[in-house]
Amino acid sequence: MTRRADLLEAIAAHAVVILAVCFSLYPILWVVSLAFSGSTSLEPQVLPIPIEPTLEPMREVVGATRIEPDGSEIWLFGRQLLNSVVVSIATAVVGISVAIPTAYAFARFEFVGRREGMRLLLATQMFPAVASAVPLFMILEALELLNTRTGLVLCYASTSVPFAVFQLRSAFEAIPIDLEEAAMVDGATRFEAFVRVVLPVARPAIAVTFLFAFMTAYNEFILAATLLDDERAFTLPVVLQRFIGEYDARWDLFAAGAIVVSLPVMLLFYQVQRHMVAGLGAGGVKG
Amino acid sequence: MVSVQAKQLIKRFGETTVLAGVDLDIPDGEFAVLVGPSGCGKSTLLRLLAGLERVSAGTIQFGDRDVTTLEPRERDIAMVFQSYALYPHMSVRKNLEFGLRLRKTDAATMTARVEEVAKMLDISHLLERLPRALSGGQRQRVAMGRAIVRRPALFLFDEPLSNLDPALRAQVRVEIRKLHDQLGVTSVYVTHDQVEAMTLADVLFVLDGGEVQQRGRPIDIYREPANCFVAKFLGSPAMNLSPVELRRESPDQRWFAGQFPVATPTAFAGLETGRRVVAGVRPHDLVLASEGAGDLELDVEVVETLGPELTVHGTLRTQAGPGQAYVAVLPAEHRVTRGDTLALKLEHLHLFDADTKRTLRC
Amino acid sequence: MLRGVRAGLAGVVALLAVLLTSAIAHAERPVRLWHAYRGAEQQALEEIIASFDGEVELLAVPYDAFASKLESTVPLGKGPHVYIDAHERLGDFAERGIVAAVPFELEPGAYASKAVAAVTIDGQLLAVPLSQKCLALYINTDLSTSAPATLEQIAALAPSLPSGSFALAYEARGAYAHAAVLAAFGGALLDVETDDFGFEGPAAARSLELVASLISTGVVPEDADGALVTNLFAAGQAATAISGPWLAADLGDAVPYRVTLLPTIDATGERMRPLLTVEAVMLSPRGAADPDAVRLVQHLTSPAAAQIRARVARSVSARADLPVSEDPVLAAFAAQAELAEPTPSTAAMRAVWEPANRAIRKFLRGDVSADAALAEARRRFDDVRRPPPPPAEPTPVLILLGSLSLFGAGLLVHRARTRDGLAAIRRSLPAYRYVALGVIAVGVLVILPILFGAGAAFFAGKPHDMYYVGLANFREILTARGAPLLSSGSFYVVLAVTVLWTVVNVAFHLGIGVALGLVLSRPVMRLRGLYRVLLIVPWAVPSYVTALAWRGMFHRQFGAITGLIHAINNLLGTNIEPIAWFARFSTAFAANVATNVWLGFPFMMVVTLGALAAVPKDVLEAAEVDGASRWQRLSRVTLPIIAPSMIPAVTLGAIWTFNMFNVVFLVSGGDPDGTTDILVSEAYRWAFTREAQYGYAAAYAVLIFLLLLVTSRVTDRLMNRGKA
Repeated sequence: MTRRADLLEAIAAHAVVILAVCFSLYPILWVVSLAFSGSTSLEPQVLPIPIEPTLEPMREVVGATRIEPDGSEIWLFGRQLLNSVVVSIATAVVGISVAIPTAYAFARFEFVGRREGMRLLLATQMFPAVASAVPLFMILEALELLNTRTGLVLCYASTSVPFAVFQLRSAFEAIPIDLEEAAMVDGATRFEAFVRVVLPVARPAIAVTFLFAFMTAYNEFILAATLLDDERAFTLPVVLQRFIGEYDARWDLFAAGAIVVSLPVMLLFYQVQRHMVAGLGAGGVKG
Repeated sequence: MVSVQAKQLIKRFGETTVLAGVDLDIPDGEFAVLVGPSGCGKSTLLRLLAGLERVSAGTIQFGDRDVTTLEPRERDIAMVFQSYALYPHMSVRKNLEFGLRLRKTDAATMTARVEEVAKMLDISHLLERLPRALSGGQRQRVAMGRAIVRRPALFLFDEPLSNLDPALRAQVRVEIRKLHDQLGVTSVYVTHDQVEAMTLADVLFVLDGGEVQQRGRPIDIYREPANCFVAKFLGSPAMNLSPVELRRESPDQRWFAGQFPVATPTAFAGLETGRRVVAGVRPHDLVLASEGAGDLELDVEVVETLGPELTVHGTLRTQAGPGQAYVAVLPAEHRVTRGDTLALKLEHLHLFDADTKRTLRC
Repeated sequence: MLRGVRAGLAGVVALLAVLLTSAIAHAERPVRLWHAYRGAEQQALEEIIASFDGEVELLAVPYDAFASKLESTVPLGKGPHVYIDAHERLGDFAERGIVAAVPFELEPGAYASKAVAAVTIDGQLLAVPLSQKCLALYINTDLSTSAPATLEQIAALAPSLPSGSFALAYEARGAYAHAAVLAAFGGALLDVETDDFGFEGPAAARSLELVASLISTGVVPEDADGALVTNLFAAGQAATAISGPWLAADLGDAVPYRVTLLPTIDATGERMRPLLTVEAVMLSPRGAADPDAVRLVQHLTSPAAAQIRARVARSVSARADLPVSEDPVLAAFAAQAELAEPTPSTAAMRAVWEPANRAIRKFLRGDVSADAALAEARRRFDDVRRPPPPPAEPTPVLILLGSLSLFGAGLLVHRARTRDGLAAIRRSLPAYRYVALGVIAVGVLVILPILFGAGAAFFAGKPHDMYYVGLANFREILTARGAPLLSSGSFYVVLAVTVLWTVVNVAFHLGIGVALGLVLSRPVMRLRGLYRVLLIVPWAVPSYVTALAWRGMFHRQFGAITGLIHAINNLLGTNIEPIAWFARFSTAFAANVATNVWLGFPFMMVVTLGALAAVPKDVLEAAEVDGASRWQRLSRVTLPIIAPSMIPAVTLGAIWTFNMFNVVFLVSGGDPDGTTDILVSEAYRWAFTREAQYGYAAAYAVLIFLLLLVTSRVTDRLMNRGKA
């Protein structure tokens, strides 16, 4: 009976998953089709197949250049892609560097204000950004960080910290405390034990948290559009927004840009996805 | 190599007191075992010695060095954890080297020492493996190796054998003792297993309720337990304990504790009629007597055959009818079956005060 | 190895530092010019700048971010010297001090008088007109050989056209285009005399009924947005179109066409008159003080520049002293501009759009009579324009706050001074070293803005001129501003929608996520890694992109879902009508939910996979031995075991969904009638589209925060009690 049942189960399971994959890919294929279409159909289509396939929108987006005042030509899109990547990596590095020790303290130390701190972090997730955006600009101005990418990175990094702390705290809690104690008995200071034993062991969780922080920055455009005032400093989401104007929008360019924007993240996801299960799974995201 | 002295150690976690004034003195080079049921505070005590917890009060001295407030790394100790706590991201070699590396040992010495220890523990072929590729026994050896390679002044063991299967456990137990004899380093070993306690210890500390119940050579403690707890805790099967009253018909007659005759009244202090005491008899101290000549009568319920011995579980008969459950260990050549009534003679009696539970032996 | 990692890390940090600082160091010297032009217009601008004698730093800003970027920089003495924007915003910019008066006089007669009037407020010239944009009539000369002069003649083309084609394509559901129809009936969106809502009365009602009849007779497509108008006309599926110059730029030579004046309407004999937008060059206060910047303005508005713009971008100059263009399209737009009416730039006008748009859509859906739709628009307008609450006396609150903080400080000091407190704090010191960075970062850049933002809830007025009003904002919100408490758009109704939104979404996220997690972790699954990657793709693509893709799929006429329905009809011979997704609350809500479920299920799936990995196998085997069926093993063993590690993710997911503003805004946009708005999008509207009532929006934010806080604490308690 089992072989038969197993076969049935296998078929059913694969059917469910393939259906879900269709559901998850369908809208994205529309974006892809739009990006490679030379014209638009005025009949509703079921299958996202490009009409009059063309690479023109892709070429236009990716090939964007700019003439510098000194006459030299720079590859603007490349520059902006680099910006996005750099800003996002910087965000992730800064955010994680801040979140790691904080999360470690929440996981391992008893201290006055521990419970309150954790609650406060959760509470920060509850306040809509609509009302805190304007004060944020005022603070950045006071810190003379307005219009700088450093300011942008600091903002992203700070906003990514609470979630990163939730993540990492549960990851650290899942690491047996024996390991640190063994290291301390072996002659390490608490900090050495943390750096040389806890961090390497928590690497999967750190990778996943890195990805999240990276994405916070990589997909954000409201702050970026408001804060950056040099075309060469723009990040890609800002560039994408440029394709939507007051009266009309270049959806083909928007879609082409969206695909290029998504590629690095997909790559990261692919790299990190194995860890993701372990990383998120290690006790889940404990609140 | 150091001696260990702890004075009046108190450890509180919030409201709960885990150690209520513990004194330890372990002579240089001896193997000390802390034994007790779970929750008795033995692990906490070990962690205080390691410096992984801070004392609430009291002092700890290694040799003539006061280490009470020192960090673990400043105490020159090594510890083997119950979980082994091998660093999962390092190979066995890296695990062994870790402590030396932190002490900035030069590479040549490091390699030499690691090879030496690996040979000693027969793990040379495992050096390049990661911990997750090792069996339980191999991990245990690596954990030991990591402690030994450092050549510390004091070894701490936190139930290092509890994750091994019984056969391996017995084997490693012997090896640990051998290693100790070979290295001569003072060791403190925590266990709840009385076989480990009895076999390994030069000096044994029995803990319960956050206090040392008794300290001494294992055999002395076995022979003369200081109180009911120790009496019951050490020895297998456990000592039979019966709450009874002392009596004697007249000053020139024998003392009885309930129905148990007191053979050597001079060994005890404070015998007086009507005093409430606890009479303890080890199952091994009961021998079969001819009918009518015994001190006790046991209605047999279950007989367990363990090769050379029989463990007989039954109910003690008293004047008032069947009484408490009792256990006797008899040589295997006796034929005992369920439903028999055995006449037993006792060879050794322990007496404890019913209130303080302390021994009456003087 | 570790040393290598550390060196690598140091390298990365150094690289980042270099890259981050490199491009920021630009000289202050060049004149900075901001614009939102794209394509040919941007090209024209660049060409004009190239001939300017001086250094100019151009910045093309996304249109959506333009105003907020100016607001966040110019008042601080930063940002551009010169910028190009539509005249409609001048009123707002003037109030905020973002724009300065032009420090020179315009040559008399050099500019179209309407354009000059549009950029003059209270007798002050605030900008120099650049170009004019308005709607005009495009005629496909293949489909309409004659030149239709009236709307009725255009409508008469309909029967001769193939099916799927329209006689007239224009954005019938938008107030911007409707204003032209309205003008033919003698109405206007805003009564300029009284600066009051003008979209009411018989003229408004008749204009609406006319449009409704055009749609019902198939003359005009009902669901057209700008892109669709372009596509229809470019594909030769519309005989005529009402659109602006941007259509010409997109058309190329796809179809033969010409541009002419908007038609007259037989009912009144009047010509349709579009709204006129004057694109103008504006100076920030520091730009007005900079001679180079002023020179740049003159350069940009010179006749030579106008010719470049006409040649490159085909834009209609606002100058009156240029010869009539030889380009027929340009000439036609120039002629139309002369007949157009500049959009008023007052705050009242900005408050007109949302109510007017909603009224038009609501009426065209056939939900209500024209009068009812217009009356509701009037109410909405009045609601937004209601007088701000009076200032309140801050003293009692200050005293209360002061004494509270004194009391708190006293309590802290008292606790710290007891021996236990001090000892506890001393023991905490090592931990504080670890959290210090986090506290500073989150404190300054997350918590401080939240505190300030929450504080704004007690204020009213313009962003740079706020005054204390006590609890007035909260009072107004909680009393639905005098309207019935359960009227549409009231706090309670929106809250109910938000709660429904959250519950439904989280339920689907959890249901799909857990189900897929369970299926994926079955031992029979093959290619698990591949499926896992494919299933988390929705998470990896930016949500603003995919939300828009979903919106497109829900388009009634051309969306993929409609295509699917057609396919089903063809296949099964059924006769299912395409669904107008955003016409009804239930379907619009469902569209939003579908999008958000799609965005959110991968997270839950991954969390589930993680939690499942921690389920001990022997427990399941024990259950199997005990005779539990598959379903029982799942419901009695697996789910209860993974539940605890899922709860935190669910909590966070619920909070995020509660505040998930993107999807609602981009997919349904609140349609129909704002009923699918949730609390956050409501707050957003008050902050950014309804006269920047930040205090009011902040009060919404505080209420949202309190709701979430209380809910999470209560569920926490309940759950802990369940455990105990």
